[in-house]
Amino acid sequence: MIPTLGRFLILASVLVATTGAFIAYAAGSKRSPEGLRWSQRFAYLFAALMLAATGVMEYALITHDFSVEYVSHVGSTQVPLWVTIVSLWSSLEGSILFWGFILGIYIAATTWINRNDHQEYMPYAIGTWLSVGAFFSFLIAGPANPFLTVANPPLDGPGPNPLLQNHLLMIIHPPMLYLGYVGMTIPFGFAIAALLRGRLGQSFLRPLRASLLLPWVFLTIAIMLGGWWAYEVLGWGGYWAWDPVENASLLPWLTATAALHSAIVMERRGVLKGWTVTLVQASFLLTILGTFMTRSGVFNSVHSFTQSSIGPTILIFLAAVLVFSVVLLSFRIDSLEADGKLDSAVSREGMFLVNNLFFVVLTFTVLVGTCFPLIVEAVKGKQMSVGRPYFDAMVVPVGTALLFLIGVGPALPWGKASKKEILRALLPPLITGAIVMAIGLALGVRNVWTVLTLLFGGYAAHVTMAQMWLPFRQRVKRGDAIGPALVDAQLRRGRRRFGGYIVHAGAVIVFVAIAVSSTMRTQQEVTLTRGQSTTFAGYTVTYTGSEERAEPHRQSTIARFNLSKNGAQVTTMEPRMNQYAAMREPIGTPAVYSTITGDYYISIMNLQGDQAGVLIINMPMVGWIWGSVIMMGIGGLIALIPSRRRAYVVSPVPAEAAGDEVPA
Amino acid sequence: MIATFFLIALLQIKVPDAAQVLGPPQGPPLAGAQLERRTMELSSELRCPVCQGLAIGDSPSIMAANMREQARELLSRGYTREQVLSYFEKSYGQFVLLKPKFQGVNALVWLLPVLVLAIGFVIVVTKAKRLEKTPVPAAGAAAVPEATSEVIDDPYLARVREMVEKS
Amino acid sequence: MNRTVLIVGIVIVAAIVFILFAGLGKDPAHIDSPLVGRPAPPFSLKAVGTGEMVDIEKLRGKPVVLNFWATWCGPCYEEHPTLVANARNLQPGVQFVGVVFNDDEDKIMRFLAERGTAYPTLLDAQGKTAIAYGVGGVPETFFINPEGKIMAKFEGPLTTEALQAELAKAMR
Repeated sequence: MIPTLGRFLILASVLVATTGAFIAYAAGSKRSPEGLRWSQRFAYLFAALMLAATGVMEYALITHDFSVEYVSHVGSTQVPLWVTIVSLWSSLEGSILFWGFILGIYIAATTWINRNDHQEYMPYAIGTWLSVGAFFSFLIAGPANPFLTVANPPLDGPGPNPLLQNHLLMIIHPPMLYLGYVGMTIPFGFAIAALLRGRLGQSFLRPLRASLLLPWVFLTIAIMLGGWWAYEVLGWGGYWAWDPVENASLLPWLTATAALHSAIVMERRGVLKGWTVTLVQASFLLTILGTFMTRSGVFNSVHSFTQSSIGPTILIFLAAVLVFSVVLLSFRIDSLEADGKLDSAVSREGMFLVNNLFFVVLTFTVLVGTCFPLIVEAVKGKQMSVGRPYFDAMVVPVGTALLFLIGVGPALPWGKASKKEILRALLPPLITGAIVMAIGLALGVRNVWTVLTLLFGGYAAHVTMAQMWLPFRQRVKRGDAIGPALVDAQLRRGRRRFGGYIVHAGAVIVFVAIAVSSTMRTQQEVTLTRGQSTTFAGYTVTYTGSEERAEPHRQSTIARFNLSKNGAQVTTMEPRMNQYAAMREPIGTPAVYSTITGDYYISIMNLQGDQAGVLIINMPMVGWIWGSVIMMGIGGLIALIPSRRRAYVVSPVPAEAAGDEVPA
Repeated sequence: MIATFFLIALLQIKVPDAAQVLGPPQGPPLAGAQLERRTMELSSELRCPVCQGLAIGDSPSIMAANMREQARELLSRGYTREQVLSYFEKSYGQFVLLKPKFQGVNALVWLLPVLVLAIGFVIVVTKAKRLEKTPVPAAGAAAVPEATSEVIDDPYLARVREMVEKS
Repeated sequence: MNRTVLIVGIVIVAAIVFILFAGLGKDPAHIDSPLVGRPAPPFSLKAVGTGEMVDIEKLRGKPVVLNFWATWCGPCYEEHPTLVANARNLQPGVQFVGVVFNDDEDKIMRFLAERGTAYPTLLDAQGKTAIAYGVGGVPETFFINPEGKIMAKFEGPLTTEALQAELAKAMR
C-alpha cells in the first residue's frame, strides 16, 4: 500500500515536472502571461508531490513498514526515533528523495517570491528548474527507487550506517550540504533564462545574486560542519583531508564565491555579465559533478555511498547539461556583454578581476588534482595518488594571495584614482599587519606562509574594520546624530555592504586560524599504563582506566584520562573506541578539550589490557575556525535581507520596461 | 629453556630487508626528536593502503601503524626521505605517494594549474585593458564616492542611474 | 555565436566526460601490485604451533600460494575453508603458505584448532613482510611461480574459482 502510493507520487512528479517544463519553455518563447501562470502552477504542484512523497517515506520509516525496500535497508526498531527520522538521508535512495524534496521547496519558494516580477525571464527559469526536477524524479522513479515493494517483509531491519549514529553533527551536516547543493539549481535557472532571452537587465541582477547567496551560505556552513565532524570523529586531529568528496563540496563553493564577486562588478559597471553567468552555470554543474563523485563509486572516499547503480545516469545528465550550457553560452554570451567599461585596472574593479582569476585557478587546481588519478589510469593504465601534500603545496600560495586581496581590494577606490590617493589608501593598514606579524613571530611562528598569513590577515582586518566603519563616519560627518537611529538607518540601507564585510572579517579569521592550527600543531604518541602520566604541551595527562559499554549497535571501550595543569585538576577526558557490528576495524572517537587559545586532543590508537596507546595533539586556534565560519554565514544572511524592497514595489515604471530597453 | 628456544627462533627469522632493495643508507642515522619529526613528515606523504585516501600519519588502522613503524626504523638506520619513499613505492607502486612525483605524465598535475594561472593572467590583463578603452561615455560612472554605493541597493534608483549614464 | 567559447567549452566538456566515463565500473579500492612479474621478496619466518622455519626461497620448484591474513579480519574467516580445502586437493604439487601479522600466537592457534589447517602459518610480528609485499588490507593472496616470481595478486576472500584462475597464471 505505502510503496504503491510512493511510486504513484513519484511517477506523477515525473509527469508534472516534464509537462511543466514544456509549458514553461513554450510560455517563454511566446511571451504568454497565461502560460507563465500555468507553469507557476506546475511548479507548485511538483513541490507538493515531492513533499507528499517524502512525507510518505518518513511515515513508512517511523511506522517501521518493512514492506518498503528502503525501510528494510536502513530501518530498525532498535534505534531511537531521531535516527529513524534522519535515516531518510542515510543511504543512497533516500538521499535522492530528500534532494527532490529540497528542490521542490526551492522551486516553489522562488516561483512564489517572484510571482509578479521578472515576467520576461521567469518562464525560462521555471522551465529549467522543472527540467532538473524531472531528472531527479526520474532518478527516484527508476535507478534509485526507494519505494520498491519487498515481497516478504522482514520483522526488523539492520538500521542505518552506524557512522551516522556516531555524532550529532551527522544530522545537520547532510541537510545543510543538500540545501547548498540543490540551491545552486535556482541561480542556474535564472542564468539559463538570461541566456535564452539574450540579455541580463539590471533589475534581474538582484534575484540572480540573492538566489546564489542563499545556497552559498548553506554550503559555507556545510563545508565547515563536514570539517568539524571529521575533526571530532575521525581521530587524526585534522579537519580537511582533501578527500574527493570534500573537494566535491568545495568546488561549487569556489565558483559561487567568484560569481558573487563578479556580480558586484556587473552591477556597478555593467561588465562581466557573460562571465558571471558562466560562473553560475559552473557552480550548478559542479554540484552535479559532486553528486556523481559521491554516488558513482568512482572515487575512493570515507564519505562515499557504496552503491554505484546511478553513476552512469548522473554522468549522462551531467554531460547533457554541460553540452547544453556550453552551446547556449557560446550563442548568447556576446549579446550579454559589455554595456559598461572600466576606468582603471588599478582600482577595486581591477582587484575583482584578479580575485576571479584566483578563484578559477583554485577551482581548476582542486578539480585537476581530484581527477588526475583517473586521467592517468585511463591514459596510461597506471595507478597514482594525489593527496594532501599536493593540495597543500598548490592551494596555500593562492589562498594567501586571496587573503592579500581581501585587504587590498576594498582599500582601493572604485574607478580611477591618482597614485597619491592609492598610496594613502594602501599604506596605513600595513601598520596593523606588521603588529599582528610581530605578535606571531614573538609567539614562535616560523613557517613562512603562516608569517605571511598573519601580515596579510592583520592588513585585511584593518581594511575590513575601516570599511565597516566608513559609512557611519560619513553620516556623522554629514551631521547625523550619533545614536540608535544612526545604527538603524545604516543597517537598513547598507546591509549588503555590511554583511559582505562581516563575511570578509570571518574569512580573515578562518585564514589565520587554519594557518596557525596546521603549522603550529604539536603531537605525541605515547603508551601509558594505568596510573601512569605524561606531560605534553603544558598539561599532564594521567591514564586512570577504561570501561566497557555495550549499546545495541556498538560495543565501546571508554578510556579515562585526567588532565591537569601545574598540579591543578583541569578536566577528565574520555576518548573511546567503538566496535560496530558491521565494520571491520574499530572506529575511535577522540576527546577534545577546547579553550579559547586552542584544543587539547586525545585519540586512542590501541587499548590492550592495562595499556593505552594514545595520540595527544595540541592544536592552537582551531575552535576559531568553526566560530568564524558561522560568522561568515551570518554575514551572508545579513547581505541577503533585501533592503528597501518597498521602494521597488512602489516603483511607478514596471521594472522590466524601464532601464533595460533603453538603447545603449 | 623456552627463552633460549625463542632466542634461536628470533635469530633465524628474516623479514625482507630494505638493504636488498635500496642498498646502503645514504644519510646519517637519526634518533630522538629529530627522528620523530622526520617520521611525522614522511608519514604525511605516504598513503594508507586500507584507508580511503588518508595518509599513514592520519590513520588509526593497523597497517598504517606498521608502515609508520617501518618508516621510523628505516630513518633511524640512516635511510634518506627519498630512499624510504622509494622503498614503499617498490612494493605499493606510485599509488602510495600522496605527493605525485614531478616526472612523466605526473608532472602535468603540477604544471597545469600554473599554466592556467599564466593564461588567466594574460586574459585578465587584456580584458582590463580593453575595458579601459571601451568607447562608452562614462559620465557619472567614474569614481562613485563610497557613501552613494548603498544607493545601488535600490533597483529603481539603479535603473534611473543606468538611464542617466546611457543617455 | 562566440566560437572561442564554444571550442574551449566543448574541449573541457569532452575531457571531463571522457575521464569520468573511463572511471566508471572500476573498483577504487583496488591497488595494482608493481611486484607482479618480479621475484618474491625473500623472507624466512617461524610457523605458528610447530615452530618450524619456513624460507620462501627454499620453496622454489613448485608454485606457492602466499596468503596474508589475521584473526582480527572478518572476511578471513569466510575464506579459510576454501584455502584449506584447496591446499588438501592440490598438494603436493602446490605449496600453500599463510602469513599472519599483528596478531597473537594464542589467537591464531585457537583459530587453526577450530577451523583446521593444511599448511604452515607464519607469524610476521610487525607486518614488515606484508609491507614488502605491498599488502593493503587482509586477506590478500600472492601467486608465486616455481622460479620464485610473483605472477598474480588477489585482494579479498578467495573462492575456489578465483583461486584456480589466479593459480593458473603461476603454473605456466
